[in-house]
Amino acid sequence: MITAIRPSVEPLSGENRRPHLLGRLGLVALIFCIAEGLIFHTSFYPSIAEPGSTAGTLYWRLQNEENRQRSGKKDILAIGDSRMAFRPRIANEGNSAMAYSFATIATPGTTPRCWYYMLREIDPRARRYSAIILPVDDYDDEDWEDIAGRVSDLYYLLPILRVSDLREFSMSYPANAARWEAFRGGLLKGWSYRRDFQDLLVNHERRMLEVNWTRTESAKSFYNFVWTTNSLKGMSVDWAARKISYPPDTTEEQRRVLNNVLLRGTAPQVGYLAAYRRKWFGKIVEHYRGSHTRLIFLRLPRGPVVRPYPVVKKSGSIHEFASHPQVALLDEHLFDELEHPELFVDSLHMNGPGSARFSEVLAAEVARILGR
Amino acid sequence: MLFNTTRFCLFFAVVLTLFYNAPRSWRKVMLLAASYYFYMAWNAKFVLLLLTLTIIDYTAALWIKRVPPGAKRKLLLIAGLSANLSFLGFFKYYNFLAGNVATLLGMPVHSFGLDIILPMGISFHTFQSMSYVVDVYRDEQAAISNPIDYALFISFFPQLVAGPIVRAGEFFADLYHWRRPGNEELLRGFLLVVLGLTKKVALADQFAKLSDSYFNNLAGHPGALAAWSGVLAFAAQIYFDFSGYTDMAIGLALLLGFHFPENFRRPYLAGSITEFWHRWHISLSRWLRDYLYIPLGGNRHGTLKTYRNLMLTMLLGGLWHGASWNFVIWGGYHGALLSLERAARPRVRLPIFVYPLRVLVTFILVCIGWVFFRAATLGDSVHVVYQMFSGRAGIGLWYRWHFWLACIMLVLALVEEKFGWFECVVTAPAWVYATVTVVLLLCVELIGVTESIPFVYFQF
Repeated sequence: MITAIRPSVEPLSGENRRPHLLGRLGLVALIFCIAEGLIFHTSFYPSIAEPGSTAGTLYWRLQNEENRQRSGKKDILAIGDSRMAFRPRIANEGNSAMAYSFATIATPGTTPRCWYYMLREIDPRARRYSAIILPVDDYDDEDWEDIAGRVSDLYYLLPILRVSDLREFSMSYPANAARWEAFRGGLLKGWSYRRDFQDLLVNHERRMLEVNWTRTESAKSFYNFVWTTNSLKGMSVDWAARKISYPPDTTEEQRRVLNNVLLRGTAPQVGYLAAYRRKWFGKIVEHYRGSHTRLIFLRLPRGPVVRPYPVVKKSGSIHEFASHPQVALLDEHLFDELEHPELFVDSLHMNGPGSARFSEVLAAEVARILGR
Repeated sequence: MLFNTTRFCLFFAVVLTLFYNAPRSWRKVMLLAASYYFYMAWNAKFVLLLLTLTIIDYTAALWIKRVPPGAKRKLLLIAGLSANLSFLGFFKYYNFLAGNVATLLGMPVHSFGLDIILPMGISFHTFQSMSYVVDVYRDEQAAISNPIDYALFISFFPQLVAGPIVRAGEFFADLYHWRRPGNEELLRGFLLVVLGLTKKVALADQFAKLSDSYFNNLAGHPGALAAWSGVLAFAAQIYFDFSGYTDMAIGLALLLGFHFPENFRRPYLAGSITEFWHRWHISLSRWLRDYLYIPLGGNRHGTLKTYRNLMLTMLLGGLWHGASWNFVIWGGYHGALLSLERAARPRVRLPIFVYPLRVLVTFILVCIGWVFFRAATLGDSVHVVYQMFSGRAGIGLWYRWHFWLACIMLVLALVEEKFGWFECVVTAPAWVYATVTVVLLLCVELIGVTESIPFVYFQF
């Protein structure tokens, strides 16, 4: 009968008025997820994060590439860290007649783990670029730093890391503490942005000016960046005595870094780097599998001088990728001529003239491989 | 294991799950085991101290109960209290006394010093157990025959470290007549934990960074503005830190079905120092009143003795906070203010519009007291007070958003005072409760300080 199911109009009983515990806690979780998701898991917060921060730098690198005007030529994208001294402007101007347009999203401090997520973000369908240029220190695997443990990757990747990435991303760290930090930081991005957020509260006016400038000018500024002409000219190393003769103007800090990098001992070769590269470069290769995009590996100029210490390297993971039809490896010795103190600003990074020469040689070689 | 750590969250989640799923007869044992684990997570060796004090007071109370009123019973009481005070005295005050003796003898301060670690929460649990023994002596509390019950009263982890100082009667009423908390109580407890966490991580720790930057480098921050901003930051820090801890303690207990007394009632809205002590660390004020001030005679033996009792109570209250002359001066300062207030008590009712002014004056007086509480030495305290009232302006340490934060907190305190927003939120529709909780959680997430800053009252 209809009356049996009519809705009650009487006041609710005390029993019914009692708040529902799980319902309320569930609502708390739901509203928190919505707020966290809308603010930090979209591009809203990254777009106002400090542009010079890890997350801000990566966000604007990708944003600028996303918004870059296409010239109608085939696009070639370089990626890498601060050692990737590739200057698209020089590459494009020097090869203006070519059918290729060069760009870079190389970001200081990033690692191949970051590069995978960056490429997935900028080229989700794997059909935007004719080639991706991937730099490495060496085609063989020399363990001298376990980059798998770099928690800073999380802070670079905040703008693009998805909840569905969390399991794989956090488990890629070798230590449990780092795994936890990566998982929590990727899930609760607000937690990871908290320093940036507090800086925003303190300097919100300056921040907004910086963000606006970055939005309108950073792409141009980055493309036209004037590199330093400082160099290590005059530096020499007595390898037998393990002694560096420094150029006249080097500071204590520069000397310390030169010492640490050039005279460092040989770490035991345990295969960490090989496993890391197989995983993350492997994921990049997998992402582009079956596409028309070529993946071009290159060995970066090793430094202002070449360390003569022999290291028995157990494997050459990059060589292994060469068997893949889409992968090409540039000649290991292509940049040997650039390994001079005059072309480096410190033990790892090239200066203006060095980067210019590097860009010209690289662009020409890539164009040669792809066919002019 | 601090309340604001992931480790504690996991610990509490396990405790809560086990507690509600264990057979009723096992719950006490489970809580006791959890409490001892909590204590041992700080320093396992000191669990023997906790155990010894528990056995002493448990035995003393049973013995007192068996002896008829008279000299022997009093002797037993004195013996029980002396045992507590000896432990407290040794661990907390030995080095202070030894230093003073050495100074008097013209020797270096550390001549007789020992490398003593202050056991976690000793000031709180000794006061709690002393009050129990006194209550049994006064026949206001039955002697507890079950050692597990008594051990749980002393070591119950939500209040073990920094209170509130719970009376035996209150605790055992909950323990013996425990009933499963209703949904409203659980929601209140959860919101209290979140509110306490917010107070600690998002507010106290933020203000701690400001006050630390001032008090750790006094020479680098000359002038009145710097001094006031440092002192005001500490006033905010200590309030949010301690009341945040208390909120969490009360909330955690509530989630387990225990009801702790209120410990803070918006103390910076007090219109007098007397009222301040009715609103600040209420469980300690109540303890000092019932077990020190009233036994000393209270206000029953004339004006002069009342002042003496006030001064003695506050001096000892100050000393309870820490073994240094700064705390003695802080206690004496409050004792003097209470006495002055008593002497100058207006005979007529003041108009209502004077109240905000009284609140402001009280707050300023309390802040001056905080200088002695926070500064590392007496010399530093004098320097800061001098700077607060010196002619030089200097540079303030607060950013604009700290002012906004303080203003929002003031408005919330006023609304709580007038309308009790917290209770309204607990009983409000689900979306209001959820929104408020989420705002607090977002504050923890975004405004929280990354570095782990210990609770101020942990050192007491």
